[in-house]
Amino acid sequence: MNRKYSKRSLKEAGQGYFFMSPTIFVLLIFILGPIFYAIFLSFNNVRLLGETSFDFVGLANYERVFDDRRAGIALWNTFKYVMIVVPSQTILAIVLAATLNAGMKGEKFFRIIYFLPTLTSSAVLTLIFMWMYNREGLVNFGLEKIGLPTYDFIGDPNVALTAIMVMNIWATAPFFMVIYLAALQDIPDSLYEAAELDGAGPIRKFWSITVPHLKPITSFVIIMGVIGTFQLFDQSYIFSGGSGGPDNSTLTVVLLIYQYAFKSMDTMGYAAAIAFVLAIVILVSTLIQRKLSNEENLY
Amino acid sequence: MEKKWISSVSLSLLLAGSVLAGCSTDNGGEGGGGDSGDKTTVTLAGWGGNPTEQALLEETLADFEEKNPDIDVKLEVIADQYMDVMKTRLIGGEGPDVFYLDAFEAPGMIETGVIEPLDEYVTDEFEVEDFEEPLLDAFKQDDATYGFPKDYSTLALFYNKTMFEEAGVEVPTTWEEMMEVSKALTKDGVYGYGVAPELARQYYVAESLGGSVVEDNMANFGSDEVIEALQPVIDQHNVDKTSAQPSEVGASSGGDMFGQQRAAMVLEGNWNIPYLEETFPDLEYGTAEVPTINGEKGTMAYTVAYVMNAASEKKEASWKLIEYLTGKEGMETWTSKGFALPTRKSVAEKLGYADDELRGSLVAGAEYATVWANGTNLPIITNNFNNQFISAFLGDRPLDEALKEAEEQANSEIGSEE
Repeated sequence: MNRKYSKRSLKEAGQGYFFMSPTIFVLLIFILGPIFYAIFLSFNNVRLLGETSFDFVGLANYERVFDDRRAGIALWNTFKYVMIVVPSQTILAIVLAATLNAGMKGEKFFRIIYFLPTLTSSAVLTLIFMWMYNREGLVNFGLEKIGLPTYDFIGDPNVALTAIMVMNIWATAPFFMVIYLAALQDIPDSLYEAAELDGAGPIRKFWSITVPHLKPITSFVIIMGVIGTFQLFDQSYIFSGGSGGPDNSTLTVVLLIYQYAFKSMDTMGYAAAIAFVLAIVILVSTLIQRKLSNEENLY
Repeated sequence: MEKKWISSVSLSLLLAGSVLAGCSTDNGGEGGGGDSGDKTTVTLAGWGGNPTEQALLEETLADFEEKNPDIDVKLEVIADQYMDVMKTRLIGGEGPDVFYLDAFEAPGMIETGVIEPLDEYVTDEFEVEDFEEPLLDAFKQDDATYGFPKDYSTLALFYNKTMFEEAGVEVPTTWEEMMEVSKALTKDGVYGYGVAPELARQYYVAESLGGSVVEDNMANFGSDEVIEALQPVIDQHNVDKTSAQPSEVGASSGGDMFGQQRAAMVLEGNWNIPYLEETFPDLEYGTAEVPTINGEKGTMAYTVAYVMNAASEKKEASWKLIEYLTGKEGMETWTSKGFALPTRKSVAEKLGYADDELRGSLVAGAEYATVWANGTNLPIITNNFNNQFISAFLGDRPLDEALKEAEEQANSEIGSEE
């Protein structure tokens, strides 16, 4: 192919880049630059405070990730969190969307009510939930009323992560519900009508028409969910006061990265290495998910 | 069309303005304050206290400025994540000239070399010997002094007078008595003893039988002496069921738990007195020295010092500020209301806190207290200890197993950093 550009097309391209330059500049400075710098950091032993120094250590930081028991715990916690939260929030979102789309009275009202949790800042949400999860708070009050055992949600390692899971499912499901709602509008009514003529009930219609037609959206929702949940930080940070406790039960990978980067001295390089391990884990799980869902690309 | 044009111009002006604002440097902090003639501006950074405390600090600073008309002090209050902010600012070369440093963080910070040794500035008049020695030692490394403690607090036993009267028991003086008294006091959702299952509060207990939590800057809390010493804390919670941590009764801190009358006794520090006064003014309580363990007195001491940024360009003026704030005069103003206890023996004597009804037992503890600081790796050691100690405290696993594992993890973290 002849790759010679005319003066005019060069000028046009130049103009194009000129117009894009603010964006390119921002992308380079705030996105690409930091990524490459983080890659550089992850191969070095970094000391920032006092005498700044970078010692190239090769893969030592990455090797350390596999020896670090806390890194293992953090990965396991995050994995558990993803495995429970992503399916739950997806199912909840699809069910909420389907009920809202069924044409009940007060549909708009419920749509607003359902969507409210997503509008709340996650930090505020966490603080409110911490009150509710208090030993003498609303949740325990409710549990006691219906005769179930009560828990110290904040102080007990066995339930702390579950408490965060419930909170997050409740908060993020409505966001995906809105995406499903939009997709539901695209399913032609004629399909439902045809199914009705064939004698299908509401449940059969849901499984045989709604769910298959939403499949591409479900892939999207799951991938976004996986990416979002792997990055869990703020909720567990606030919940544990930054320690990942009690007993490492709310320690997530991102929280661990934060601790190594800012809390302990001279471990910035190691923190960068964990960040890359996390990026790879997310990448791999997304690829697996795409293979499994076998869908054409939508995104 | 017209409107669009105006809005786009104003938007770009706004953007340009914000870029320019971001570029301009804060001359006040660096150039020595060009607008006020020959005045040197020293920045002082610390975390905020309650309003009364803040007013006291401002009063002290005003006195200082009056005595040193050529120095201006700019106070910066860092509301949250103090150490994160401070480290980031020091790395970026934007650190304040003088700032607070907790003894717990001191060894690590001193080792990096960002803190100026103060020995060459000290004059005889400053009277270094006047400071309580263990508190000063927390800021020493290789015989150099890097900071002078501004105040401190120890732990003392806070007890609820009403509950003690109702139960008809005496204030305990030994740990065994405390365990017994707790049994009598525990009833109807009230626990005898509100405990904080974390190393910062349990350190002296852990070392009460001769073991050491930290040895050669490595974790050593898995040793038998330490485990044996801590076992009673666990047993009181799980066997006697007469103690609880704050979150178990829905309280946010030991002080809160005590104030809400969910615990009859807590071990807290000086900070608890103004807190109780403000939040629970009707509470009838008293303080006593921490119960002895095996006949030995013990408690914790927490202290914070003023330190100087090694990269400061105004070291002379900064020292003058530190000298005044930790000097007899400045410390007297600062500690006059009892929000903080003076680290100078002469000031303590003058203010007479040793005879104070509530603060007397806190002051008495200074003599035998263990200062909460030990080497550069204490933050890592603490983190691992707390994580596992809580699982033993909640009865999920035996203490020895938990602590041995935590010790191993702490030492592997320390090892891979060196």
